[in-house]
Amino acid sequence: MLRISGGRVYDPANGIQGEVKDICIADGRIVNDVQGAAVRTIPASGMVVFPGGVDVHTHVAGAALNFARGMTPENHRAAAKFIHSPLLRAGTGGITPTTFATGYLYAGMGYTTVNEAAVPILSARHTHEELRDTPIVDKSSCVLMANNEILLDLFEEGETERARDVLAWLIWAAKGYGVKAVNPGGVAAWKWGKDAKVLSDPVHGYGKVTPAIIIAQLAAIVDHLRLPHPLHIHCNNLGVPGNVSTTLETMRVLEGHRAHMAHLQFHAYGGDDWTTLRSEAAAVAEYFNAHPNLTADAGAILFGNSVTITADGPWQHLLYQLTGRKWGNLDVENETGCGIVPYVYKGSNVVNAVQWAVGLELLLLIDDPWRIFLTTDHPNGACFWRYPEVIHLLMDASFRRECLRKLPSRALKRIVLPDVDREYTLSEIATITSAGPARALGMPRKGHLGPGADADVTIYNESPDRGLMFRHPRYVLKGGEVVVEEGDIRKVVDGRELIVRPAYDENIEEYLRPLFEQYYTVAFENYPVEQERLEGADIRELG
Amino acid sequence: MGGKVTCTLGEVKNRADLIIYWGGNPADCHPLHFSRYTLNAKGKHVPQGRKGRTMVLVDVRETPSVRFSDIFLQVRPGKDFEVVTTLRALLKNRPVDEARVAETGLTLEQLQNLVDRMKNARFGVLFFGMGLTMTRGKHMNSAAVLTLVAELNAFTKFVSMPMRGHGNVTGADVVMRWTTGFPFGVNLSRGYPRFNPGEFSTIDVLVRGDNDAALILGADPGATMPQPAIDHLARIPTIVLDPKLTHTSRLARVHITTATTGISAPGTAYRMDEIPLPLKPILKSPYPTDEEVIRRIYEKVKVKPAWSPAAYAKVPCA
Amino acid sequence: MPPTTLENATCTFCGCVCDNIGLEADGDRIVKTKRACGLGEAWFKNHTAERLYPDALIDGKPASVDEAVEAAADYLYQANMPLVYGLSNITCEAQRKAVALAELVGGVVDSHTSL
Repeated sequence: MLRISGGRVYDPANGIQGEVKDICIADGRIVNDVQGAAVRTIPASGMVVFPGGVDVHTHVAGAALNFARGMTPENHRAAAKFIHSPLLRAGTGGITPTTFATGYLYAGMGYTTVNEAAVPILSARHTHEELRDTPIVDKSSCVLMANNEILLDLFEEGETERARDVLAWLIWAAKGYGVKAVNPGGVAAWKWGKDAKVLSDPVHGYGKVTPAIIIAQLAAIVDHLRLPHPLHIHCNNLGVPGNVSTTLETMRVLEGHRAHMAHLQFHAYGGDDWTTLRSEAAAVAEYFNAHPNLTADAGAILFGNSVTITADGPWQHLLYQLTGRKWGNLDVENETGCGIVPYVYKGSNVVNAVQWAVGLELLLLIDDPWRIFLTTDHPNGACFWRYPEVIHLLMDASFRRECLRKLPSRALKRIVLPDVDREYTLSEIATITSAGPARALGMPRKGHLGPGADADVTIYNESPDRGLMFRHPRYVLKGGEVVVEEGDIRKVVDGRELIVRPAYDENIEEYLRPLFEQYYTVAFENYPVEQERLEGADIRELG
Repeated sequence: MGGKVTCTLGEVKNRADLIIYWGGNPADCHPLHFSRYTLNAKGKHVPQGRKGRTMVLVDVRETPSVRFSDIFLQVRPGKDFEVVTTLRALLKNRPVDEARVAETGLTLEQLQNLVDRMKNARFGVLFFGMGLTMTRGKHMNSAAVLTLVAELNAFTKFVSMPMRGHGNVTGADVVMRWTTGFPFGVNLSRGYPRFNPGEFSTIDVLVRGDNDAALILGADPGATMPQPAIDHLARIPTIVLDPKLTHTSRLARVHITTATTGISAPGTAYRMDEIPLPLKPILKSPYPTDEEVIRRIYEKVKVKPAWSPAAYAKVPCA
Repeated sequence: MPPTTLENATCTFCGCVCDNIGLEADGDRIVKTKRACGLGEAWFKNHTAERLYPDALIDGKPASVDEAVEAAADYLYQANMPLVYGLSNITCEAQRKAVALAELVGGVVDSHTSL
């Protein structure tokens, strides 16, 4: 049992904004009170207490990220080293940290839950193997569905009900948590070297199915199945000048449904080409503010090294042609693809400077912190361990202006950031890093400090240097255990996997089996991830 | 250029109309590759199977795979790199020296024909084997082929894939990447992973005599490695875990018999395209699994005092 | 012992890793394979569950697994730079533990890929 005593508590989900109060913990959960001699007290006066961070969108495990690790040995050499100790596993940090380092880095930053945002079902077993080796944090995953050809064929035939059962079966087969749509129809077209750029045009190889139909159908199915997390969507035309029209159209298609717009920064550009690219964050924010059915994460970029990893194969081919650097591509039969291109964002590059501003503009112009969350689409925009830099930029307008002065003057004409004076409060930071993403993910025991919540708590030394403050929490608790103290990992616990089991008609297997034998190269029986593989998984059954 | 443009085997089955095997003999070494994944498989977009596909075989000698191919290109040994480079030049309409091309054992006409086929394919795939990666040029050959395939994507859809051999060698790559960041040859002697092929690769380590003990897991270097490497293994404490008594077991200080992977030991193995598959044992072995024995060794070592910089600090410095 | 059967078994002989193999076992050996190639059939039939070899050998003499594990741990612990090599014919679960062990003893870990 444990008492965190005298800290200033920010628990936005329970309406607590900086009140000095004690947080009590027993059996891994938050409770009203603890008494007796066995209670350890963490004196936290002068400190700031947050619910543990929740990352709504990150890429930390699985075939694509592991492909990227293999492609970037030079980065591992330059990266932070994790030295083996009786407590810790060895590893490398940097832009694609090893699994153990990923757990330590997230925990060290006060994050205790992460959502792996792109899992192909065919290699989901691999994702879970890696998540098992990612310590401390709890984990969920979103399963890639918007280019699944069995589903697309059903949409083509108008077989919505059967598609619903197939999708539910697939989530359980992957032992997933949510549904991800990446470049709907575009990755399927990429299998023939094509893309899907117009939402109302039929997808290459199909007569009727359009990206708009895929988006609408998936959003409807996710709502119908009452999945805790809404459809998680990466829009078509990622990263392309002028893509704001596609993004706004996607949001219109989603009216009447819940949806989470992933890495919105990459989808808020105006202009006709790279030389005229400009920010359209204001237009996106205006529409978004008026549509409470939507949540989003920023996908902010920071200057420096990154490696872009996305299921958006055609975009990655374009980026390879633009950069002339390494290119990895991995198409997954019947389901999805992924492309990998290392990239360096430079402050001196006008396009990169505009991208940098767009991420911050969205975070500042979207007025409800319960609907926009802090991410960098790790490792695409920047590494997750650089989140404190974004927090610093959000909380300190004068620091922001200082950074803006270093940008090329041509970039300044294409952004609105210089005119934005908003500064985030601590309560708003707690919302965009924890309470908001937990609510959007539908995780009732995460992101707050009320009784019954998981005792995932982060305690900071308050400092006017917000970057420093958020980089180095004084204590981090995971499930009531003190895992980080004074900047060191003190205890390593296993994180749990959060999994959803939606209801479906069992007969769907008889429909799937023959199709499967025709289209796939693994045995139908060997396709689903075995439940017994996942030790200590937290499975939520949906009626 | 670095990286790799690839796919899972089902993509080949469902789409490929041009299939190139380079430096490999699948008919003998991967006997079901043709029927399950590539040439003879009926795929979603190639319902006619074999009739819908063209197969090109590139190799230095005639093998039983030749009779499966539509076109066989016999390259002079050691000239693969030159052939790939010529293909890249032709792809970009750059001039090539016919006399230099002739040194490869192929004609310009043959290579131009191949480039035309590649560019006009709907979906092309190039599988490359040890005949390319383990002969003169080695990793330079692999890099050249990977680049050629990446560049072909400016014209059409094209992918490549190495024909990995041993059952779960792909799994070893995958596991090492997620645990250490590097795919093989990882040195942890400083407590963190370091990678330098040619320095920390097994043969180099053994031939130099850098290591002072060896744990050999499901391999038989005593039968396959250069003699100086074998001599070193015999000199140092070598420990072998294997379902059989191997050549290496005979020169080792310790041998432990283990259950056979996938037959009497459960777990996971990765296919050559990095798809993980479950291993379901049918026999009950009288021997423990590799996993169990390694775990028990780990636990024995773990309880001994940890080596640490602090332990070395006690040694007086000169 | 009555025969046992398994459908969709996975063959780890070559990199194809076919996972649709039918197997029939009688006691401590596999007596029938379905859908396997020649190499796969030989692989399955040649690996029996018979006790053909001693549990363990130390310096060529039969030993118990416990003794051999103890000896292996001592050798690896005492070494300054042990080499952990192979990994290509063991499960991923065993590979994970092998990397952990290499890390613990501060050695090099490598597979057939480096050849």
